[in-house]
Amino acid sequence: MRLRLTRRSDDAFRFPRRNQLPTLALYLGAAALYIGIGLITQDFLFSVVVAIGYLLIVAWLVPAVVRRLR
Amino acid sequence: MSWAAHDLEPYAIQRHSKLKLAFVPVLIGSYAPDLMTKWFVYGINIGPWQLKADNPIQFHRGWPGFGFTHSLTFGLLVGLVIWKVFGSKTWGIGFLVGHWAHALTDTGDTVGTQLLFPWTQHFHVDAWAYAGQVGRELDAAAYFSGLGGMWDAVWIVYGLYSWRVLTREYFDKYIVPADRFWGWAGKRVSQTALLTLYRAAFFYGTTRWIAWTIWAHVLHDYPYDLSWGGPHWVEAGHP
Repeated sequence: MRLRLTRRSDDAFRFPRRNQLPTLALYLGAAALYIGIGLITQDFLFSVVVAIGYLLIVAWLVPAVVRRLR
Repeated sequence: MSWAAHDLEPYAIQRHSKLKLAFVPVLIGSYAPDLMTKWFVYGINIGPWQLKADNPIQFHRGWPGFGFTHSLTFGLLVGLVIWKVFGSKTWGIGFLVGHWAHALTDTGDTVGTQLLFPWTQHFHVDAWAYAGQVGRELDAAAYFSGLGGMWDAVWIVYGLYSWRVLTREYFDKYIVPADRFWGWAGKRVSQTALLTLYRAAFFYGTTRWIAWTIWAHVLHDYPYDLSWGGPHWVEAGHP
């Protein structure tokens, strides 16, 4: 019987690598904040446009500004 | 109605399709049926006036009304227009696929959809109660207390298991090459912004599922009812 090394599929499940953890943490934090705001004011949860704007600010703009200020 | 399912299905569709599908039109197609209608089901306030459909069920899913937006016919027509009039086969097919996913998913509730409009027969499986007519917060409480919310949960669990479709590597290798939109947008904003945009629907579907579940069952005491057609503590809409 011959063993053949097969390439894992690009999207097969595996746990995040160490260098992916900061990104995961950023999105988990953004999610916690979004959920918190949504529990206080449910209007916040009804619009995908608001959600897109929120995520662009929290996950892109704010980190970009923080990196620039450092 | 379905809630998070419409946000998350496009990721699964794109991942498993044998066709080279562009993600953005699939997502737009998935949102399209409710984009112009759901606000009037619940009612919107413009200054002192409230705009709300007198018969939300008929307005949203019926005829006369905007029920045709949930038909396979409509998805096919708009997809053809996008392809033949605007010249993008990629976007036309993507829109069609996303739209049909929405139309088929919405057959899960007690009102269903007029899939074969202009034949106005409603196709409905009755798995969960349609409750848009009772107002948006009670609708949310009901949806996230019944099998509809569980349907969303299946997509969320599957999506989290397939989290690698949200990575930069997957985005660069599969999503960007499938659609010239990303190249066009990439000339105007950074790659990180594009990646955030790509992830947004997944984020929205998952977080609002969590938020509404906490709202309905922790902050309020709406009971779960996972029986067929439930929750039965809300008056379900029918065609």
